[in-house]
Amino acid sequence: MQTWIDALSWLNFGFLLKGLAVTLYISLVSIVLSFILGSVLGIIRYSKIKFISAAVGFVIDLVRNLPLLLIIFFTYFGMPKIGYRPSAITSAIIAMTIFESSMLAEIVRSGIQSVSEGQMEGARSTGMSFVQALWYIILPQAYRHMIPTIIGQFVSLIKDTSLATIIVVPELMQHAQVIYGQNANYIVPMFAALTLLYFIICFTLSMAGSYLHKHMAS
Amino acid sequence: MSMIEFHDVQKYYGKFHALHDINLEIDKGETVVLIGPSGSGKSTLIRTVNRLESIQGGKLIVNNQDLSNPKTDSNRLRQDVGMVFQHFNLYANKNVLENIMLAPRIVSHMPEEENKKQAMELLDMVGLADKAQNMPAQISGGQKQRVAIARSLAMKPKLLLFDEPTSALDPEMIDDVLQVIKKVTSASEMTSLIVTHEMGFAKEVANRVIFMDQGHLVEDDESIAFFKQPKTVRAQQFLSKIISH
Repeated sequence: MQTWIDALSWLNFGFLLKGLAVTLYISLVSIVLSFILGSVLGIIRYSKIKFISAAVGFVIDLVRNLPLLLIIFFTYFGMPKIGYRPSAITSAIIAMTIFESSMLAEIVRSGIQSVSEGQMEGARSTGMSFVQALWYIILPQAYRHMIPTIIGQFVSLIKDTSLATIIVVPELMQHAQVIYGQNANYIVPMFAALTLLYFIICFTLSMAGSYLHKHMAS
Repeated sequence: MSMIEFHDVQKYYGKFHALHDINLEIDKGETVVLIGPSGSGKSTLIRTVNRLESIQGGKLIVNNQDLSNPKTDSNRLRQDVGMVFQHFNLYANKNVLENIMLAPRIVSHMPEEENKKQAMELLDMVGLADKAQNMPAQISGGQKQRVAIARSLAMKPKLLLFDEPTSALDPEMIDDVLQVIKKVTSASEMTSLIVTHEMGFAKEVANRVIFMDQGHLVEDDESIAFFKQPKTVRAQQFLSKIISH
């Protein structure tokens, strides 16, 4: 019992929360960036613009079939070799954004395709441009269908930020390691704390997602 | 003055030859009905007129714009060419009023008050003023199609295309929709091209009937003459089968 109390002292717990703040920061920035980039890529995939659409499709397939860890290594160890040396946090954000954008692009493309073709034809037949039809008619319907899947993807993203511990990003997982690195008896209490913190955040987000989905459907 | 001119138009879906050597001229103000068996190319033909389908050969002129020229602006063309679809295609995320007001607002930049006034007049004309705030999912098929007609009229088209407007409707809904189409086509200067299986209705509204079979334009005649006695054997067979029941 005393081990648990010592392990989760105010000092240690505060240190964990600092890690949590970095985890949330990386997650939030990556979510915003990958939502924008993923939507643009998904729309390009759907639009079937010659060559561009196919090229984007190739890159998406490539990235989706790589381990995230490889992309993190590339941004952290690889990019300095080609002239850009980002900080560990920036590396993690770039890697998460590249990976999640390609996941979201496929979600967005299939979400758009799930809206019946008649909606697009109806809009285009009144003289609306492709972009107007997308903006006013197709995307609002598509995103409504996609909410649970997109939220699920964001939950994965938050969990995946723990991989950044390998390039020593001072995030939640990494800070836990620092603590139990000083005293091996703290391993189990630290894992318990990590379990609780990741669960609270991810589960809350999932619940918010289902609430939003139900709320918007009615 | 012609509104639509087909000159040797060809349409292919891959290797399938969907429209063969179509030659057809439709004058401004005419109401033309397009009939024929399933798969004869009626819908394909009507969809080439507002460029929802591309053509692979020949020349197609609609409202003085050359659709065989890839540079012709489809969006500009469609502002003058409305379309009513078999499955209505009302915007599922907009209420009835917004369905009608959207294109005038964002395509022709009509002032908001004028737009709303016009939309309410159109809804009144199709008998659905009380449904303005309903979502498409809350109204019946016949009502949806009447809203769709109002929506296409809101752009003040010079040409209106009807692609089997009553084929997806319950029998009791059909009549209300046909009444509205009749009102629309007879009252205005507008040109109409209608694909339909409703022969009684075709006889009543059309100046002219075009009969298609297997991608060919088989017969093109005055409506009265056509329904009395079609010239071609194929059209005679078709009519006898349809009218007998």
